[in-house]
This record gives sequence, structure tokens and C-alpha cells, in this order.
Amino acid sequence: MAMHKLDVRGAKCPMPIVKAKKELDQLGPGDVLEVTATDPGSVKDFQGWAKINQSAALKEQRTEKDETGREVYVHVLEKRS
Amino acid sequence: MDTEITVPDLLAKLDRGEPVFLLDVRNADEFAAWRFEGKRPAESMNIPYFEFIEEPEAALARVPHPNFEIAVICAKGGSSEFVAELLRESGVPARSLMDGMRAYGSHLEPVQVTPETASTSELWQMNRRGKGCLSYILRSGNEAIVVDPSRHTQTYLDFVAGLNAHITRVLDTHVHADHLSGGPELATTLGIPYYAAAGPGISMEQTVAALKNGDLLSLGDKKNVLQVLSTPGHTPGSTSYLVHNQYLLSGDTLFVNGIGRPDLGGEVEAWARTLFNTLTQCIAHLPEHVIVMPAHYSATSEIGPGGIVSVRLGDLKAKAPELRMRSEQAFVDTMVAAMQKPPAAYSDIIRVNLGLAQTEDEQATEWELGKNKCAAARH
Repeated sequence: MAMHKLDVRGAKCPMPIVKAKKELDQLGPGDVLEVTATDPGSVKDFQGWAKINQSAALKEQRTEKDETGREVYVHVLEKRS
Repeated sequence: MDTEITVPDLLAKLDRGEPVFLLDVRNADEFAAWRFEGKRPAESMNIPYFEFIEEPEAALARVPHPNFEIAVICAKGGSSEFVAELLRESGVPARSLMDGMRAYGSHLEPVQVTPETASTSELWQMNRRGKGCLSYILRSGNEAIVVDPSRHTQTYLDFVAGLNAHITRVLDTHVHADHLSGGPELATTLGIPYYAAAGPGISMEQTVAALKNGDLLSLGDKKNVLQVLSTPGHTPGSTSYLVHNQYLLSGDTLFVNGIGRPDLGGEVEAWARTLFNTLTQCIAHLPEHVIVMPAHYSATSEIGPGGIVSVRLGDLKAKAPELRMRSEQAFVDTMVAAMQKPPAAYSDIIRVNLGLAQTEDEQATEWELGKNKCAAARH
């Protein structure tokens, strides 16, 4: 199991999920993907996506500040086995 | 074929009753809270865009194949573009709503109420269709007054310039709770007075000019164009403006089906008593032929013929029981029973409108999402 990071800061819908999906497809069972986004709409959208997503589970969502002081939304996904 | 459709074009199609299928690809909560609406009902459906990413075939199979166009709608126009392209690739005619619900929420539709005559001014109702907010432009010669402008100040500047006039005064009927006022910005940009009142004991940080009950404003070469009526109750500073003794710009005091809620300040009883006093001592004495032109409406069914949202005061009295109540206590009890929770962002919006806080465009868009909830409910 490995930890992967995906930076989609500045990307607008639908790109955060398009890119996260693409990245998840490359991962193995149990791998974790941490997606960092700036779009506040991504919080609800990742929740909705997780509900229908057969291949990954949403483990955690948190808000933090990035190195530029910008508010970012972090979505942690785990690839299912 | 264009790949995008603008908000005014989609509204016009729906208003004319042309067949369009609305496919909203926002998440289910957003769709439930606020939708794109024309004056006539249209078929619509919600399939969040991430379903088209996760299971494109299954999502595409759920989209009906009408023999007319599909308008795809999202929050800002990105996801709808993505989905519309998928649909077109699968042979379904689809266009994406340009800039999404954000553009719907900021679109202002000007509707002329009355042209200028030798003795009266021209009046325009600016209909913010996506929010149900109404603002007004009054013009006489090359001078204009703007009442209750939204924060899209450039739209007002451009529109008034198109009337070959310039804005000389900007007025708010009250400190709005549901949307940000463009008043302070217009006043600062143009160096003109901003008239607004929060009410006794509540100060506004912006520079505001005061008007008092009975004041008469002139405009261009016309005298006594607008009369100031103090109508507190929805807020302690609520003011209505009677234009040419004919049109009552009533703010949130009167709506076309009822009255404004007095419970947005956490003092429902006191404000309801004030509102009762306004209704019985001021509104009740206005002639029945006065046309009420409010700052809001709740449903597209309130848009009348000619696209104007208004009601004859006599007709409003006949249909709104709140205007016929004789007992102050019964009125207060009714208002207390009608209390609803205000949307979360209302307190933030009030702080900005009082000049106590500032905001930026992205945040403002977020706060203003959805329709206003300023009318008193009925059970």
C-alpha cells in the first residue's frame, strides 16, 4: 500500500474528479490518494462521487491552508481491493 | 451549432414555451436547493457530472433522447461543457449553459414599466431572475436614480448609459439580508450620495445620506418625483419610495402576494409590532390604485403580463390576510407562528451590507446562491 498525492489546485469542475479518477485507475488495492483542491464545491462533489464509486472509498476530507496561505480542500481516497 | 447557450437566450426559450430539456449536472443537494427556471415549466432531470466520469455509459443511458435540444447546467459552466460534449458525441443535441448557475444568479433583465412623459419619469424594473430580486431605475431627462441595486454595478452603469443618462442618487429600501447591495460601490465609484437606513440605534459604516419620512426628491427637470415613506418592520430602517403617487417601491415591506417577514433580526415580536403599525398607519392610507413594486418575488408565477412583477394595492389587500388584520396581538402571533430559520449566509450578508465586513466575488457568489427567503410564510 502506497500513499499518492494529486495537486489539482486552481482546477475547476470537472477537472478535480476527472484527474482523480485517472490517477486512481493506476493505483493498486489499499493505495491511498490525497487530492488537494481549491474549489470549495469539490467537498460535496467528492462526497457524491464516492457514493457511486465502486473502486475507491472517501476516507477523510479536511480544510487547511497551503504554503501561500490559500484555503485548500483535501480529499483522501482509498482504492478498494 | 454553438456548444454553449447564454442565460438570457435560455430564459427566452423557456419563457416562450419552446421545448428544451434541462439536464442539471450539479450534485443532488445543489439541484434540490436552487434550479434554473423560465416562466413556463420545462422538463428537467438531475444527473451529477461525476456520474458521467465514473460510469459514462450508464449515465448517458439515463438521459432521455427528446427530439429537441438539451441544455446542460452546472454551477460555473465547466462540468456542463464536459457533459454536453459527451452527449453530442453520442448524437444527442446538447448545449452547455455558459458560466452556469453563477451567470443565472447575476443576470439582470430590464423591463420597462412606464416611459417618460412630459410630467412623469421613466421607470424600469430590473429583474434578477435567478434570485427573484428586483431593483429599479427611474430616469428623467439625463438623470437617473437607482433603487436597491445588486452588486453587479457595471450592469447598472452600462444600462443607464444606454438610456443616455447618468446616475445621480442610489437608494436602498433597507439593509438586505439575502443579497449584497451594490449601493455603496455605485456611490463611491460615481461620487454620488447613497441613501440607506439601518434603523434607530443601528449604525452603518458606509457613508450614508439620510432621508426622512415625507421627503420629496426631484429628478432631472421634474419635481416631486419620489416621496419617502418610512415603513419599518421587515427591518427597523425599512423605507418605501412612492414614485409619482403611482408606483410604490415597497422593498420587502409588501410583496405581490403578501408581506415581508419581521423575524430576520432575532426580535420577531418587536419588529412585528412595528410592522403592524406600518401596515395600519401608513400602507392602509395609500390609495388602492397604487401599484406595489417589491424588491423580491418567490415564484415565476408572480411575473405578470409584460414581464412586470407588481400588484395593485387594492388587490393585494383583498388577497393578503395580513393586511386586513385589526388586532395587533393576532398579527404578532401570526408572525411568530410563521417564523422560519434564515439561510445561513444571511448574517454574513447583513454584516457586509452594514459595512462591518468586506467580501470578494467568489465568496459573494457562494453566499448569494439560491432564491431569497424574505417573505413571511403562511400556514
